[in-house]
Amino acid sequence: MASANSDEPSPAASTVNDDGRSEAEIEARMLELLHQFPKGISNKILDTDMPTVNKQIKVNILNELMSKGKVSMFKAAGTQELFWCLKSHPTSRIKGADNEERVVLGLIEEAGNKGIWTKDIRIKSSLSQATLNKVLKALEGKKVIKFVSSVSAPKIKLYMLFNLQPDRSITGRLWYNNENNEFESELVDLLNHQCFEMLQQQKEIAQQKQNEGPVTVRNSSFLSSKEICQVSSDMKLVKFNLTVEDIETILDALVFEGKVEKSTASDGNCNEKVKMYRSVAQPVPFASITKTPCGVCPVINKCGKVGAIQPKMCKYFNEWE
Amino acid sequence: MSSYVLSPFNQTCYQLINKYFGEIVGEVAKFLLRRRYGTLFNIKTGTGMSLWDVKRALAVLIHQNLVEFQANEQNPNIVDYSIIYHNAHCLLRYAKYLYTIKRIFGSSEEVLIEILLKIGQASASDLIFQSANKLNEAIDDVKVINPSDLYQSFQRLATENFIIRCPKIVKSNAFVEKVPKLLEFEDEEKFIVPQLEMEPIAKLLREKATQIGEHSDSEIIWRVNHQRFDVELRNVILVNAAARRVDEKAGHLYHLILKLWREANPAEARASKGVSHILIKDAVRKNDGRSPMLMEHFDQYLRVLCEDSTGLISRTGDSRGGQFAVNYADVFENLACAILDSVVLERFGTKALRIFKLTRMQKFIDQDHMQKLAMVSPKDAKTLSYKLMENNFLKIKELKKGTSNVGPVKSFNLFHVNLPEVVRGVLHSSYKCLSNAMERQTHDLTINKRLLERHADFEKTLEQLRGEDAPDNAIAEFSQSMTVADKELVAKILKLSDNLTLAQSQADETILILESYLKFHSMPMPMFYSMP
Repeated sequence: MASANSDEPSPAASTVNDDGRSEAEIEARMLELLHQFPKGISNKILDTDMPTVNKQIKVNILNELMSKGKVSMFKAAGTQELFWCLKSHPTSRIKGADNEERVVLGLIEEAGNKGIWTKDIRIKSSLSQATLNKVLKALEGKKVIKFVSSVSAPKIKLYMLFNLQPDRSITGRLWYNNENNEFESELVDLLNHQCFEMLQQQKEIAQQKQNEGPVTVRNSSFLSSKEICQVSSDMKLVKFNLTVEDIETILDALVFEGKVEKSTASDGNCNEKVKMYRSVAQPVPFASITKTPCGVCPVINKCGKVGAIQPKMCKYFNEWE
Repeated sequence: MSSYVLSPFNQTCYQLINKYFGEIVGEVAKFLLRRRYGTLFNIKTGTGMSLWDVKRALAVLIHQNLVEFQANEQNPNIVDYSIIYHNAHCLLRYAKYLYTIKRIFGSSEEVLIEILLKIGQASASDLIFQSANKLNEAIDDVKVINPSDLYQSFQRLATENFIIRCPKIVKSNAFVEKVPKLLEFEDEEKFIVPQLEMEPIAKLLREKATQIGEHSDSEIIWRVNHQRFDVELRNVILVNAAARRVDEKAGHLYHLILKLWREANPAEARASKGVSHILIKDAVRKNDGRSPMLMEHFDQYLRVLCEDSTGLISRTGDSRGGQFAVNYADVFENLACAILDSVVLERFGTKALRIFKLTRMQKFIDQDHMQKLAMVSPKDAKTLSYKLMENNFLKIKELKKGTSNVGPVKSFNLFHVNLPEVVRGVLHSSYKCLSNAMERQTHDLTINKRLLERHADFEKTLEQLRGEDAPDNAIAEFSQSMTVADKELVAKILKLSDNLTLAQSQADETILILESYLKFHSMPMPMFYSMP
């Protein structure tokens, strides 16, 4: 910082200003002001604080701060006045990053959860395709950004910061692991089991109301998808929020296993239809032939009177308890 | 003896006949099962047995209601014999029949049915006489059983349609026909019991006669009504389904309603006629002693059963408080689907079940949607759907898309389930399961015959010794005459034999439901629901 002082071109004697502060001190003061006003400082504030400092010096210092990535410049919407404010994530943590990379990174950061498409980056940063590609490769190599594929358009690449979770609208649903796009079967199984337990408990509670008649028993064994979602979220089984739609997909999977029945009912308060679920027993508990070895035999089609597979020497019968 | 492989259904029928009636009858039956129709000469050459044997076998089969005859179309002087397939299969269910009768009526009716099943066809007096003899032997009492009780039991069985009259021979005076024609009775007359005098029978019983000899109604012959027993077994399944879906009292209610439906429609149809609310309520009130809570919540139970998705009751009209009927095709479709789901679950796993059920509910679905809705990973979805296809649970239908003639033709591949076909497939494997169990059982018992006989003798002698209060060391010494290993082997064989018997009746349960589905599914739709 001290050397910068001597290297600065000094337009006349006003570099050393009236209250005797050096460039570095002015910079430090500016940074203090920026911290004080996190929403941004305008020219006016700078003037009131340091009236004696030359405008040119202020501009120079601000420019330098901007190029170091500590400060960014905005234009106020109404008055078209210029503001400067401190950057929350200083991109200067990347050592030796050049301007292009910083610009691109800035844009990607802005996009946040949603990610940004390469074409958008190109438009906003007005870099050429080749340069952009080089920059993106470099940043990826440094593990600062990553790309994800969106469900809506599987061919396009979206870029976002490395440690951010992609938003729901991109991955479509939360069942996919965002690292290698694998289906999260364990999560599904866990939630599946949990929802079924809940419905079973509700059914048992309902059974205790036997004396009030079967209609009451049946109606009180229903749980709406909203209630199930509420309870699941309270239990904090997963890190992120569960929406009603997610729970409904899990409950539909239970319907397809025959354990749960679905029906729609109108909510008491508003007029919309609410999906209700309850645990039911199948009319026939199980197909009796599945209790015999032949019912689940993998080679039943090859079993016959001659050949290696005969009921006379069937080893499944031998092992049957 | 010709050697050929029978289809699983025919194989089970052959095994049953073989088991109960012996080899000679079995061979004749096998020939007829395969050939469907056969004349006397055909059977003789086909089976390679003597004419005398074939004639006796056929006589047995006809008397047991397993074979029927009719004049050949081309040459009316020759008789065509054919197997009654259903009755042959029902041989398996005789034990269940006895249990059902005992449950509904009592032990005297059970004895009547037992004797009738054993003989095949008999007149009322003969049947009563023989049952009385059997009861006498069993009870070992000085007092002789009063045949009037049995006569009343007989009448009860006839009113409930569990026994039915055999068709009578038409006696035409014009000329004697070579092939006797049989005439079926009208529906009402089939169950009318002739007036009988019990005194002659009582006299014979007192004299301890073994045969009844000449009696007045020897021309009126009765046999067991298999259809009625089928209906009864089916009703048990339906009542259990109702009990599982709602609760026990709903099961009772459904049982009563089934009775009412049966009274309203004697013939078997795809859907029953409606029964009014008032009638049902009356029936429940009469039966109030058994389940008082049923009366209290009667309307609620009826409503819950109606709204249940299995389709056990459906409301068909509003007159007289509401008309309630059942569509057997729908109910059995749901039951058959439950069976299929269970089979898929046991054979392939939960995920495969999800895929199967969702394809069935969605009618047509493609691979992507299937994977999303079933919540399985794409790789699993592919393997399981192809596995199901391999085993004929799923089918693919191709729809071409686009009309461009350039380049490869793209097409949709949609999965769907053809329910009757899948049911037939599972039915086929159920029959196979049944015949395998029977084959293994007979094989085991024949191979180990000597060992089992030795064991039986051993047990008998041991009992005798114990009965005679022989000294302990003598008993111990004798019990060592059979080695521990032998005893273990015998225990193992007997256990497997029991399991196999159980397996046979379990396979039969599944077969009953699937067959009922196919039967009702193929019946024509009713034109309209008739008014009461």
